[in-house]
Amino acid sequence: MEQYTKKKIIYQILPLLSVSALILAWIIFSYSTGGIIFPAPISVFQRVLKTFETPIANMTIIGHTLISLKRVLIGLLVSCVSGISIGILVGSNKYLKATIGSFLEIFRPIPPIAWIPIMIMWFGIGELPKVLLIVLGSFFPVMLNTASGILLVNKINLDVGQIFGGNKLSILKEIILPTALPSIFSGIRTSVSCGWTVVLAAEMMGAQQGLGLLVMKGWGINDMALVLGAVIIIAIIGALFSYLLKKAERLLMPWNR
Amino acid sequence: MDAKVKVEHLTKKYGDLLVLDDISFSIKKGEFLCIVGPTGCGKTTFLNLLTKIIEPTSGNIYIDGVPANPKVHNISSVFQEPSAFPWLTAEQNIEYGLKIKKYDPKYIKEQSAKILALLGLEDYKNVYPRDMSVSMEQRVVIGRAFAMNPDLLLMDEPYGQMDIKMRYYLEDEVVRLWKVTGSTVLFVTHNLEEAVYLAERVLVLTNKPATIKTEIQVDLERPRKVSSPEFVEIRKELTDMIKWW
Repeated sequence: MEQYTKKKIIYQILPLLSVSALILAWIIFSYSTGGIIFPAPISVFQRVLKTFETPIANMTIIGHTLISLKRVLIGLLVSCVSGISIGILVGSNKYLKATIGSFLEIFRPIPPIAWIPIMIMWFGIGELPKVLLIVLGSFFPVMLNTASGILLVNKINLDVGQIFGGNKLSILKEIILPTALPSIFSGIRTSVSCGWTVVLAAEMMGAQQGLGLLVMKGWGINDMALVLGAVIIIAIIGALFSYLLKKAERLLMPWNR
Repeated sequence: MDAKVKVEHLTKKYGDLLVLDDISFSIKKGEFLCIVGPTGCGKTTFLNLLTKIIEPTSGNIYIDGVPANPKVHNISSVFQEPSAFPWLTAEQNIEYGLKIKKYDPKYIKEQSAKILALLGLEDYKNVYPRDMSVSMEQRVVIGRAFAMNPDLLLMDEPYGQMDIKMRYYLEDEVVRLWKVTGSTVLFVTHNLEEAVYLAERVLVLTNKPATIKTEIQVDLERPRKVSSPEFVEIRKELTDMIKWW
């Protein structure tokens, strides 16, 4: 028991130690290079604060963060709803797998960033192309994981549902989806990181607002503190997403702890 | 005879392969019937036909005079391998079939509490299958089947994976559940001692294509003693009948 508590404490301390080591390495590297190419943490923090006094593109860093966040959330919502629905269809029906699955397989290998010029040419630089790019980048992990999660359903569980007189909908809801849920969550986790990658790329290519714009502005005027500030915010939001997803997983899949 | 289940001329073919050949028999309401047969004789196909997972090539199964239909009748089954749903607790697993049949929520709770008490699993009602032993999981599955007060309960070598001590314990438990619920049970096994211990009647199947070779009535008092002369006599009689295996 005592050994178990010790281990638990060690596992809680280790992440703090690794983050502290990273910040320490950052400080050392920053001072050894003069702090211009790689500004120290305090300089980055001050630069982030400065955006409140002197907004960039009429917006504080919080405003830019919220814009990017909104784009990612809308894109992810569309991806999750469509990805899970199509994944269920493709995973549970051989005909749909052969038709829709094959059709989607053509688009799957295309890197989402390759769509950026096409989207800009078709839809301009407004909100729609950015959200569409996020959907393109985050749809496939959810869809493919849902489809493969459904294939994991144990035949004996389906037989039990059928013997007890379950109809197709109840078997889907009560047996197939719970089986596929861990795979679906794994797909959503991948989609979240894909969504952020794509929104940054899209905002860097052509946007008036967003964290990608800050990265581009900072790069353009050699303001590395601003670039790092934007990148760190992305990392913090990514970690927050990961934390919330873990909490949701624990809540929705208590059997899978 | 007050027949609960009637199987008439049941035949199953896979292409040219005849698996079951013109099987007919009846099960009385509340009867405990065991079926014994050699490995590979088509027992699982036979059970899959009774549960309507697969359709027969010809013949019919009637429950209370109506063609068997899982959506109309309460049919439950217990397979050899534990089949509790991993995402449901012991209590939720027991309630599964009752919820599918849309029973009154109050009745569902009462029924699951009764079954949990009969199985002595009240303290484990919130435990998930991953935290159960194989035997406990199988007991939950058996509880789930009996909770339905099934018209027909099919058990396919449910204790095949258990050691001898656990097997004896679970055999007594299934007899207790059967008596309390008054269910009609069809129990498939290749263990002759188990068949004589549990059954009121034993049907003996032939090799593939399976037909009913014969049947034996087991009129012994319960609890049965495997070493009693009467028990040994019936087991011997059964063994002599199936020596051609």
